[in-house]
Amino acid sequence: MECTKCGNPNVVIERKASGQALCKDCFIRSIEKKVIQTVKKENLIEKGDKVLVALSGGKDSVVALEILNSYVERHIIELCALTIDEGIAGYSDKGIAIAKSHTERLGVPHKIVSLKDTFGTNIDEIMALDEHRGSCTYCGVFRRWIINRVAREFGATKIVTGHNLDDETQAIMMNYLEGNVENLAKIGPKTESKSELFTVKIKPLREVPESEIALYAEVKGLDIHSTSCPYAQESFRKEVSIMLKDLSKNHPTMMYSTLRGFDKIRPAIRAEMSQNFEFERCERCGEPSSNRLCRACTFLEELGK
Amino acid sequence: MKFTVIYNNETFNKESDNDLTIKDVLDEMNLSSQTIIAKKNGEVAIEETSVEDGDEIQFVQIIFGG
Repeated sequence: MECTKCGNPNVVIERKASGQALCKDCFIRSIEKKVIQTVKKENLIEKGDKVLVALSGGKDSVVALEILNSYVERHIIELCALTIDEGIAGYSDKGIAIAKSHTERLGVPHKIVSLKDTFGTNIDEIMALDEHRGSCTYCGVFRRWIINRVAREFGATKIVTGHNLDDETQAIMMNYLEGNVENLAKIGPKTESKSELFTVKIKPLREVPESEIALYAEVKGLDIHSTSCPYAQESFRKEVSIMLKDLSKNHPTMMYSTLRGFDKIRPAIRAEMSQNFEFERCERCGEPSSNRLCRACTFLEELGK
Repeated sequence: MKFTVIYNNETFNKESDNDLTIKDVLDEMNLSSQTIIAKKNGEVAIEETSVEDGDEIQFVQIIFGG
């Protein structure tokens, strides 16, 4: 088999969805082109933006940083990065070290913020308690709180998250299957809020399959944090992910078509579900919240912190 | 033919009388190419790549969990 673009016999991927076979160089170019197309099509980045990458050290955020750095080289944007130390022994440290190596290599300003310093507790301490809501619940809420605050400290105009095609398709199917139309309306390439305290979030990798992001990192020789979280648990998302991967074996275009179809009906869902509530400030921390306390502070009060 | 498979820090010495592709080896080990990158003698290889005598096939887990 030869590369369908240049004829090189050393093929690294055969895309069942398109019938394309690509060598290393043509594959790398195709991924970078796809991300740049998504950025342009969805108007994710404007000249002069300061873009904060939520950099875990995992493949998705490392690849996002790597590709977006080309915009820095072309003097279109400034980049900065944030890594959160969740306080998970034997796991968090590895991700931080990898994230640091990439930001140092690219010369990107980088903040490392720990849950312990910010909230007085961390995931290991919470999971050692007799009663808790599960690690992912705290981790997600606390991370979002830190990302939003650090984005303002950096003066960032956009926050990049590494959501890929698999993540987006899973989110669409999960919310559809659960009938959660309110959450379904929030899915998209760009998340904007009426509150100026929330920085716009963008997903430049949402049209790239997870397996291709991993392959891009591998063939480019990017060091990535590839250990799974010790608290990873069985979840509805995991069940949906397995179902989608199984279906994709015989229907290789399925994740693309799910995303395309959803993007077509998204404006209608958003118009139907638009909410007009105004954000207040959380009484405890001052972050925007639709309730007296934001979710992070609600959890902290439960934990006696 | 004889070949070696490296997966999950373990080395497996394999023998076969049949022509094999990387996909055949993945199937035999009950692994999915959707979550694994295959390398033949250190170079990334696709599922259809033939396995030859003396090859070192490495399977790198790239996607964990869901």
